[in-house]
Amino acid sequence: MTNDELYKKVFCDTFLIEESQLTGLAYQGVKSWDSIGHMALVAALEETFDIMMETDDIINMSSFEKGKEILIKNYALEF
Amino acid sequence: MLLTGKNAVITGCLKGIGRSTLETIAINGSNVWACALAPDEEFEIFCQDLANENNVWIKPVYFDLSDHEQIKTALKQIASDKQPINILVNIAGMTKDALFHMIPMDQMKLIFEVNFFAQMYITQFITKLMVRQKVGSVVNISSISALDGSYGQLSYSASKAAIIGATKTLSIELADKGVRVNALAPGVIDTDMVKAVPEDIIMKRINQISLKRLGHVDEVSKAVLFLASDLSDYISGQVIRIDGGI
Repeated sequence: MTNDELYKKVFCDTFLIEESQLTGLAYQGVKSWDSIGHMALVAALEETFDIMMETDDIINMSSFEKGKEILIKNYALEF
Repeated sequence: MLLTGKNAVITGCLKGIGRSTLETIAINGSNVWACALAPDEEFEIFCQDLANENNVWIKPVYFDLSDHEQIKTALKQIASDKQPINILVNIAGMTKDALFHMIPMDQMKLIFEVNFFAQMYITQFITKLMVRQKVGSVVNISSISALDGSYGQLSYSASKAAIIGATKTLSIELADKGVRVNALAPGVIDTDMVKAVPEDIIMKRINQISLKRLGHVDEVSKAVLFLASDLSDYISGQVIRIDGGI
């Protein structure tokens, strides 16, 4: 799987949503992306991409797009 | 052996309660990342001998708790070992005693940086790994001064009180993720920190202790062992006094 596919899969699996819902998805945009869901998302991203996210990045990961931007900029992931 | 096959991160291992805890945890079969302020040859030899005697590995890790970047680098080094972390013991701390109106704010901030914020940064990082494993035990070293107050120790006692608040809240937040969080509140323990206190003051304190003596570092580390091990499976969010009865 490509990083892009993995990234989408993490979101879909964590929040139990369809890929069609991902574009424009923001924190609390679906019921499952609450604060607890956010930490589950972080754990899944860290495990999938073998990274340890900084607290500032965890706080700033406010949307599907923003998360990808952070992974590219701060964790040298390529999409 | 209560901790066979487990891995522990312990801060403040160079001396006192930290070194005794390192010894107790290793003797009980756990591998250890032994955190200390700065490289020290005697400490390295101590770690190596202790590891050999107990068939565990002990990795010294050095960083200054007042330096965020150093902590971050050290934690990444620990994480890069790709080992599960079962136990975190936050021991490292400092005190600068002064009467309240004589405490410069910078000094108070430094005490909080070392005794509280650095501990929280480490705990944030390590418990994130524990949550993934769905198991872990965090033991924070507070102080009876956080519970009772202590003349001339406002910064220290307040920072240690903050540790108690964090312990209780964290124990609630991490409970359903299999991570227990507890604190110990040692009283007057025979360490270098106490040796620096004038004898008449120490004697006065001893007279207030039911057991009429100072505590020994191993009496604290045995309590750490209890909280780190499965013996305390159903204990979380607690503060245990180790003070000889006051």
